[in-house]
Amino acid sequence: MHLLEKLQILANSAKYDVSCSSSGSGRSGKKGQVGNAAMAGICHSWTEDGRCISLLKVLFTNHCIYDCKYCVNRVTNDIKRASFTPDELSELTVEFYRRNYIEGLFLSSAVLKSPDHTMELIITTLKKLRYEHRFNGYIHVKSIPGADLSLIYQAGLLADRMSINIELPSVESLRLLAPQKDHQTIIKPMSFVSQQIRGANELTIYRKKQMFVPAGQTTQLIVGASRDSDLTILRLTQELYNRYKLKRVYYSAYVPVNNDKNLPSVNTSPPLLREHRIYQADWLLRFYGFSADELLDEEHPSFDTRIDPKCDWALRNLDKFPVEINRAPLETLLRVPGIGYKMAERIVRARRIAPLSYEDLKRMRVVLKRAKYFITCMGKYYGDVDIDSGNLYSILSEKTNQKTIEGQISMFE
Amino acid sequence: MIYVTDGSFEGILTAIYDAYENKEDPESIVSQGFYQVSLDSGVREISTDEEKYRRVYNAVIRKMSQQAIEIMYKAWLSEYTEIGTALYKYLKIGLKLGPKVLSYLQNPDVSLVNDLAGKVSFEAHRFLGILRFKKLASGLYYARIEPDNNIIMLVTEHFKNRFSDQPWMIHDAKRKVFALYDTNQVIFINEDIDIQTENDKDTVFEELWKNYFKAISIEDRKNPGLQKRFLPRRYWRNLTEMQ
Repeated sequence: MHLLEKLQILANSAKYDVSCSSSGSGRSGKKGQVGNAAMAGICHSWTEDGRCISLLKVLFTNHCIYDCKYCVNRVTNDIKRASFTPDELSELTVEFYRRNYIEGLFLSSAVLKSPDHTMELIITTLKKLRYEHRFNGYIHVKSIPGADLSLIYQAGLLADRMSINIELPSVESLRLLAPQKDHQTIIKPMSFVSQQIRGANELTIYRKKQMFVPAGQTTQLIVGASRDSDLTILRLTQELYNRYKLKRVYYSAYVPVNNDKNLPSVNTSPPLLREHRIYQADWLLRFYGFSADELLDEEHPSFDTRIDPKCDWALRNLDKFPVEINRAPLETLLRVPGIGYKMAERIVRARRIAPLSYEDLKRMRVVLKRAKYFITCMGKYYGDVDIDSGNLYSILSEKTNQKTIEGQISMFE
Repeated sequence: MIYVTDGSFEGILTAIYDAYENKEDPESIVSQGFYQVSLDSGVREISTDEEKYRRVYNAVIRKMSQQAIEIMYKAWLSEYTEIGTALYKYLKIGLKLGPKVLSYLQNPDVSLVNDLAGKVSFEAHRFLGILRFKKLASGLYYARIEPDNNIIMLVTEHFKNRFSDQPWMIHDAKRKVFALYDTNQVIFINEDIDIQTENDKDTVFEELWKNYFKAISIEDRKNPGLQKRFLPRRYWRNLTEMQ
């Protein structure tokens, strides 16, 4: 098969993996090698669906022994199959890289013959890249569920980032939709990698830093393939950040690709808005000091589609508002709807020099559309309706115009 | 009084030096050809002076911080027509406030320079990603760019570090400036040279890349508006995957 056709098939099969970030590793170029890694990550292009391309994201193979019901590559699907050779893929990566098309490689795979066999092919590819092509750029590699931990360790020495996709957010959904995988084959390697990362960091105290997955570990959860609630997803996310120290959890709105009685029908459109709300909540967990149980509970297990999670929280906690922009501590400013991390920091720095008026905030490019109902500036309230008038929900809720909502979907806000 | 400079960063800082030296407070610092003669203000021609420039440059670092001079320089790269006056006002406030000027964003003069610098940094970072090299028959990797701001100086270090073993050339076709790297050092050339690359075929990998670009997009999530927001149309003509 021609390389062009292979690339089409194996990119097409990899596209539902939403992660593409190239951040978290800072590494300078070295003499005689090609490449470095930029701490903040770099996006190289944006496809027609508005998602960024940073890494060359492909499967090594889409031949699979498994029959996971949600997956396009399941063994019982009649689709075109292909596999790269380690030589083809390592050369392709370097040639793309030298033309500045990409930041590096994101290598995932279906399971060919056995998890160990697949993992070995991946390792061979990475070794060719690192040692033959002297490639010093970014590599994100997937752990194949069920592969021997010693193989996962080897891959971790060659990669910047590793991930293993949980995909289904509960044991129950996993049993229903991916009966050949069990929970342990995912959690065990994740826990192993997180221990190794910690170990590598401790070693740096004694000697030169040993590279083991320096950009950390990530995972992906599918939204809307199973019946799991937003609350289930968010609690799991929180545990992944706290216990396994994951760098990111990605969410992928399920695009129905298969027919099955336990799946949404193939005519269902992907729940993009729900995915968007979960991303917003994820940011609140990571950067804004919120916990999952503040945002959702058993009585409200799903996010409101018309209002973002922070606004939703604020409306349920109106007794905490309005806050004075010139006095509220950073943690409190971060909880004001419409005020992001960058703006909160700007405010704290600027008010040390001179007190801030409402006009000052505008000049500093603070978006006041929502914030004005939750703050005072020098004691004065600027909302056009009173905070406890009971009208805020309708004022703040977004028009359910699908276009504007989709337009806001961005992972880089 | 209106001060007229050659428009260079050095020229503007020289003008600022002269203003303090002459104990004058010019109403504007403009570059040649960019000002209208006004009957009631005098005009002073400033000749760029390396020594005066150095002294202002170092004073900014000493009194306001390294970051302040970087912000001023980046703001200048925006080619904003009133940049001379803007930098002068910024510096006047900075000399009073010291390093705190960086945070004084409620002030319109400070926030203007800060915004200009932010816009330039943003575009420079964007070009680390969207610059495309074409491998010419000679082995040289050639990139053509047309950025809104004069960012070429801000991106060459990155490409030198990343592609240290390959010769490359970055060509700002808008400003007719070249950065040339010979695997040893980067030199800048300011000349109007017409570069023809049509006969240089780099078809194999360009075709692979274009096909990859199409295959990785999810049809059910199609959202061209979002794509254009991240990647405005004006950048497309130099992007391999958009041809």
